[in-house]
Amino acid sequence: MFTDETLDALGVESLWRKSQQFAQESRGCQTRPVHTAEAEIQPLLNADNGTQTDPQDHHIYQLPPKGELQPESPGLRDFLHRVEDMVVKELASNAKSHAFDGFDVNWEDQNETVSCIHCLQYPSAQEKGLQVTSISWSCTGSVIACAFGRVDDGDWSTEKSCVCTWNLDRRGLNPKRPDMVIDVARPVMSLSFHPSQPSLIAGGLYSGEVVVWDTNRTQDLILAQTGMSTDTHREPVYQVAWVPGPRRGEMVVLSAGSGGRVLLWTVDSDEGRLVLSAGFALIRQQVPHNSALSKNRGSSNVGVTSLALSPWDLDTFLVGSESGLVLKCSFSAQTLAAAPPDGESVTLRAPAQFSFSPRGGPVHSLHCSPFHRNLFVSVGTDGLAHLHSLLQPDPLLSLRVSDSYVFGVRWSPTRPLLFAAATGQGLVQIFDLGRKSLRPAATLDQLTGGQPVYCLEFNPRRKDLLAVGNSDGSVNIWHLSTELTEQGPRETAKLEQLANEVAE
Amino acid sequence: MSAEVEETLKRIQTHKGVIGTIVVNAEGNTTLITSTKVDYAGLLHQLTMKARSTVRDLDPQNDLTFLRIRSKKHEIMVAPDKEYLLIVIQNPSE
Repeated sequence: MFTDETLDALGVESLWRKSQQFAQESRGCQTRPVHTAEAEIQPLLNADNGTQTDPQDHHIYQLPPKGELQPESPGLRDFLHRVEDMVVKELASNAKSHAFDGFDVNWEDQNETVSCIHCLQYPSAQEKGLQVTSISWSCTGSVIACAFGRVDDGDWSTEKSCVCTWNLDRRGLNPKRPDMVIDVARPVMSLSFHPSQPSLIAGGLYSGEVVVWDTNRTQDLILAQTGMSTDTHREPVYQVAWVPGPRRGEMVVLSAGSGGRVLLWTVDSDEGRLVLSAGFALIRQQVPHNSALSKNRGSSNVGVTSLALSPWDLDTFLVGSESGLVLKCSFSAQTLAAAPPDGESVTLRAPAQFSFSPRGGPVHSLHCSPFHRNLFVSVGTDGLAHLHSLLQPDPLLSLRVSDSYVFGVRWSPTRPLLFAAATGQGLVQIFDLGRKSLRPAATLDQLTGGQPVYCLEFNPRRKDLLAVGNSDGSVNIWHLSTELTEQGPRETAKLEQLANEVAE
Repeated sequence: MSAEVEETLKRIQTHKGVIGTIVVNAEGNTTLITSTKVDYAGLLHQLTMKARSTVRDLDPQNDLTFLRIRSKKHEIMVAPDKEYLLIVIQNPSE
């Protein structure tokens, strides 16, 4: 009944469409032939001449080679003979003199007040309710980068977040619009600018990845990342830092996370990868002097919540843990970690050498003093700031910072006795150890309605700026008064005195 | 270095508050140095020459006998001479 049939195609010609090409003309042109002529020359006389600069008359001020007996310069003895009496007389009268007591010179304008000069916000991050988890100043002191993420979320977070940078020295700075926004697929927990290249930023993510961004690029800003391999952290990375690498001039990224791993990564920018070069694992059983905590049945990893590098000794670093431990560790430790190998490409070592007296809760922040090689300060959820010496387990001094948690602490880069702490009540307390009272020298209210302050950083170049990151997603830049930034006459001596006190 | 030179320097060094002494020769090279930074030698040599020429420009019959620089942290004293300079750094408030 039904059969297949193919029909011929039917064509309908257009009535109105015509070929557009009805007139065509060709034209050509050509230049006239170019005139050429050839000629030759040759010099008749030759002469040679040369120049050279004279070696410069440098005044190189040299040290005499150590340990060798210098042939005594003529007249030295007589010279010293002549001047000795005069010099000794001056030294003696100087030591007794009160002529300059209380004499101060004002080289710069004195600033009496502390004021908040900028309140930087990124509205779209604030709408999502993201908090500022970490801030970092660039090495030039003009750019501040803020990492957005969450600190209060206990779950595995897949929320998108971002890293924003503002250049404070730029004219037309808009506090509501960052100069650059880097979108990141996971919350960023920690951030660190490269100490000498102002365009590189290292960041640690909630997923355990570590990423290095290059803000000079226009397209893909990621210079290198760890990706999710067997080498990476499995837990959030709470601290990243740049440390000098094995080769001179090279910096490697250090990352520490709550999985108890401290890893060192070299940047391979050609491949866009961070390659694991060394690793440390903190295992509870390998922590020295740890009789009290080994009764705990939980995981044997010591989760790292804070890390501090010592500016005096490149081999030492301090680690603060989730359980309140504060450990002194060494980069050159050779003991192998007692962790079961998990497919990492590098053997993990146990770095802990010394354990300080444990705190009552997670240690959120540690910082080594830039003015004394043995001092550091630590803060945690017990609301106290402990001033420790590297030489003994008990703290030298305990200051009550606030009634709630304390999330960040930093020593002032200009005043040896000053440090600032960020509290969970939305205040930054600045303590001056030179004062007799233990109450703060200044309190900066972040005006966030009592919401916690998570991080704070002093500007490395401009000594009067302090940046504070709040949990409502804003970053306040404070301009500190001269009293808080100018070093007093005897501060280093007082700090030395504090450090030498032995705790009872 | 003869014992006498050493003794003299030791007497100066052990004085109250002294944190370093340097002896610089006329070209600005350090002859002797004790426990402090080298930068002082070159910079102070230049400054002393400048101070001396200032004094002599103000009054050609006059000459520089002693130079003292007081800073927030310490005091630098320079005793000049034809061939040498003796620089002593003292922390007076100790």
